[in-house]
Amino acid sequence: MSNPAVQVGVGPLMAALVVAFVVALILRPLQLGGLAVAAAFLTTMYFVSGLGFSPLTATRKIIIVSIAAPVVGMLIDFAFKPTRMGAVVLALCAAASALWVFWPVLAQKPAAEGWLLGASMVVVIFFVVGFSQLYLAADAVRAGAAGLGLGLATGIAAILSASVTYGLYGIALGAGAGGFLLPQMISGKKGFAGATFTLSATLTGGLVAAGAMVLAKLPWYALLVLALVPVGARLPAVEKTPLWLQAVLLSLYCFAVGAAACALAWAQGRNFDLGFMSLQL
Amino acid sequence: MTKLAIGLVAITLPLAAAAQVESYNIDPIHTIPYWETDHLGFATMRGHFNKISGKFTIDRAAKTGTLEVTIQTASLNTGDTDRGARSRTRDEHLRSPDFFNASEFPTMTYRATSLTFADDKPDVIEGNLTLLGVTRPVSLKIERWRCGPDPRTAGKRYQCGGNATGSFKRSDFGMKFGLPTAIGDEVRLWTSFYGFRSQ
Repeated sequence: MSNPAVQVGVGPLMAALVVAFVVALILRPLQLGGLAVAAAFLTTMYFVSGLGFSPLTATRKIIIVSIAAPVVGMLIDFAFKPTRMGAVVLALCAAASALWVFWPVLAQKPAAEGWLLGASMVVVIFFVVGFSQLYLAADAVRAGAAGLGLGLATGIAAILSASVTYGLYGIALGAGAGGFLLPQMISGKKGFAGATFTLSATLTGGLVAAGAMVLAKLPWYALLVLALVPVGARLPAVEKTPLWLQAVLLSLYCFAVGAAACALAWAQGRNFDLGFMSLQL
Repeated sequence: MTKLAIGLVAITLPLAAAAQVESYNIDPIHTIPYWETDHLGFATMRGHFNKISGKFTIDRAAKTGTLEVTIQTASLNTGDTDRGARSRTRDEHLRSPDFFNASEFPTMTYRATSLTFADDKPDVIEGNLTLLGVTRPVSLKIERWRCGPDPRTAGKRYQCGGNATGSFKRSDFGMKFGLPTAIGDEVRLWTSFYGFRSQ
């Protein structure tokens, strides 16, 4: 159980698959497949840092938000009809939750740095949650690909930014989204994402990415690029191709955007001689 | 008359006792807390903190004292400050949430709760270490202790100095990265210290 491959790969993927299959086979009318990603994330959290809440650090606040996100998502899916205004309100609430998580840390930083990091974080969380709810929640394959890309890219970028722990959290989210996608790819039938999935994947993923920025060395501009990962899942996919191929293509689009963010994370602090000018990131 | 005498005694006794208490400010230049822990089961890795502040008091007659120390966690140094082709240095990794989480917890503190003497010298400090927002008891053994005029100031400044050691399990403070095999749980401390008498 102490093996990182179990903590971040096999463990969360199995948790996600169990939840996804149980939901698909037994609770299908309830459309709760989105719980898979929360199950994966909390599994890794349990292995890596435990599920305690004292002292209430930023990481532990992320656990609280990651538990609340699918609960709120289910409430929204069952009680409300998706609207543009609803997505904006949800995104605003998500951005507020990010401030709640990281405000004590931001307040300790020099004012200019605190404002830059705080503003980047709020913009990114607002965008990924709002965009996913508006444009991805209705399509479980696109939403799953966005969650997979955002999770893996966040994880790799966090590792490159000096925090392996946050890297594991991000990769676990990716594994969870993979566990959500896999039954759809095998069965050839689209599942249901809704706010239950998008909120769990994008809000938690955004918070993990923000944590890699606020607590470790992820540059703010790499965080902004990470926010564009879900946009990759909106790019055209051939609708008449098998569902598994759609999932692969959309995931590749998201990986490409995520790779750019990872490259920026790796390049941070380095000098690049472009011939006509020298560039320091 | 008796009441007056009792009153005078009551007033002067605490003053006499207070006069025995010597206060010292920690010398941040020569007080260097080092730590070491196992790395991969092969070698012992060492590091230290560059920024420390604090004060201590000692009452030699009553054989008591106090100690308060604050360490800036971001000032840790293991000698690996150049990334080279890597994405981060070891020091950057140690400052991240994997270990000291220096952005969220910029300081760690140690406060003594009791001080025991061996003969006329302080011997063991019992106290509480607060790291990553968690407070746990940690004791320090004073291995070397000497007080006297500072020769660098031709005796104008009075100082006490020495060395102390201790240990704790980092998992007790929630620092779990690399457990159980990659990076050791037990952290051993060794510090030099100086204090300049302020009164």
